[in-house]
Amino acid sequence: MRRMTYLLGAAIVALLAPSTALASGDAALNPSDEFALPPWVEINIGGLDLSINKAVFYILLATALTIFITIWIANRMAARPTGKAQVIMESAYSLMRNNITGGNLDGKMAAKWFPFIATLFLFIWFSNMIGYLPLPTNTMHTVDVFGLEIPAFGLYAATANISVPLILAVVVWISYHVEGIRHHGFIGYIRSWVPAGVEGFMVGPILVIEALSHFVRLLSLSLRLFANILAGHLLLLFMAGGLVILLGMGLAGSLIIGVATGALGVAFFLFEIGLVATLQAFIFATLTAIYLGGAVADEH
Amino acid sequence: MDLSIIVAQAEIAETAGRAIGLGLGTGLAALGTGIGLGIIFGKTIEAVSRQPELRSEIQSIQWLGFALTEATVFYGFIAGLIAFFV
Repeated sequence: MRRMTYLLGAAIVALLAPSTALASGDAALNPSDEFALPPWVEINIGGLDLSINKAVFYILLATALTIFITIWIANRMAARPTGKAQVIMESAYSLMRNNITGGNLDGKMAAKWFPFIATLFLFIWFSNMIGYLPLPTNTMHTVDVFGLEIPAFGLYAATANISVPLILAVVVWISYHVEGIRHHGFIGYIRSWVPAGVEGFMVGPILVIEALSHFVRLLSLSLRLFANILAGHLLLLFMAGGLVILLGMGLAGSLIIGVATGALGVAFFLFEIGLVATLQAFIFATLTAIYLGGAVADEH
Repeated sequence: MDLSIIVAQAEIAETAGRAIGLGLGTGLAALGTGIGLGIIFGKTIEAVSRQPELRSEIQSIQWLGFALTEATVFYGFIAGLIAFFV
């Protein structure tokens, strides 16, 4: 517990550090710089920009963490657990197995789709959580440490870039349609969209509305995750000094506003890592399970 | 009046309109979301006080509703950002 407190304290201090680093220099603050993606390693294949940049680095980091931490804990499994890692992993497992998958899918489907849903949950969770660790990835601003130019600390997450949640949502969207068609047949699947009790001329308009709602699912599933993480990062950026620099109210005004927004920033930081990061991973996995369950349900 | 002043005024008005759109849109979205969240948590308290034995079940549905409702403020926010930058 004490170790956690020290780690959290260090993280909060490091979180507030970029603002002072930026404020001391004469570089003008542009909030959208925080989300700019300058290429680190330029790769261009046939006009396709596949450069390695900050977002790619965060995806690889989240993927590596998802794989290695779960394998590491799985290899250290013991009947009498030592340490907390196994206990935490087991409760996460039971959450994914019983609540998210088991609660929304029946036995056979749950066994089939559990690995997919659990991987989604863990990947999004790790991606969100490393998004709140300030890492030296902001190559647009550098800090001079004993003659060494190191990139400034910045907050970013793979899920704060629309492309990652969108592609996850597309994968989910395709897989639940495929599962529905496999279960009902193509005509039967389309027919299963119409609620029971709708007959005659009303079938057409209802079908159009239902088809629209399936596309809205794609949009809402990706936007929810993306906007939550993006707005969280923007909020932390403004609270941890961005607002003070933008307002530029002289020393006394800056000090008062800085202390107030800094305290608020710490509160928002705790709210984000304590609730939003986990809740967004949970909601994404739960909605995936609900959509899969809805696609194979006999009654709409 | 010189025509360039009117053009400059129109440009300022456009920027101001975008800023107002972003602020007002996000603010109104937050208003609706706040009402929705209040209803969710109020109903949860009501349900738990009526049937305390269902507490854990109700709470898991409550978080689902919370996340779904809370996301609507960000739809307003994203729409505001689109209005502001595009």
